[in-house]
Amino acid sequence: MRQAGSYSGILISGKTGPHLLPLARIKKIMKKSGDGVKMISGESPIVFSKACEMFIKELTQRSWMVTMQGKRRTLNKEDVASAVMATDLFDFLLNLVSEMDTSKSS
Amino acid sequence: MAEDAGASGSNNDGGGIKEQDRLLPIANVGRIMKQILPQNAKISKEAKETMQECVSEFISFVTSEASDKCKKERRKTVNGDDICWALATLGFDDYAAPLKRYLYKYRELEGDKAAANQEQHKDIC
Repeated sequence: MRQAGSYSGILISGKTGPHLLPLARIKKIMKKSGDGVKMISGESPIVFSKACEMFIKELTQRSWMVTMQGKRRTLNKEDVASAVMATDLFDFLLNLVSEMDTSKSS
Repeated sequence: MAEDAGASGSNNDGGGIKEQDRLLPIANVGRIMKQILPQNAKISKEAKETMQECVSEFISFVTSEASDKCKKERRKTVNGDDICWALATLGFDDYAAPLKRYLYKYRELEGDKAAANQEQHKDIC
């Protein structure tokens, strides 16, 4: 008789488990990444869900350091842009943040 | 002049693809941001929107790299190992190791489920 493992529920369901991000949406974004992306294994969005969590936390932490330097308590988009510019790892985001940052005040 | 840096969502596909489909939900993104910040921290809506864009770009960036690898190796399906490899290649070494562990754990559990399914099919056939 098939029994659903309690842990499989935690890993797969979006409600109780560690999945803070919707897997179907992640899959959609992956598919639009380029011409070659046709087939994606079921586990890929699950790996990405965790990877995105880590990414968001890292970028947020770095942004917050800029916020604190400015003696503020509200993290704003310029702080995110500054964190991107200060981190080599986030070079792939430079175009994105420079497009958004139209009014730069020093 | 804006360079298409892989954010293909901005290319109009005749209204078939909604703007929001290329971003992860702002509520989810905001929740994760809050997890890492002190209690009294506030996040502007624009900062959350910027983070949404950055995450989508991150997904595209890593997926492209993984997809190129698959093409070179003449494989059609991008799998979890490819994602981990792409992360390490692109400099996200700190993510790759714990994600690999996470992936193997997931596969282990899936293996248990598959074995249970096989048992069921044995009964039916």
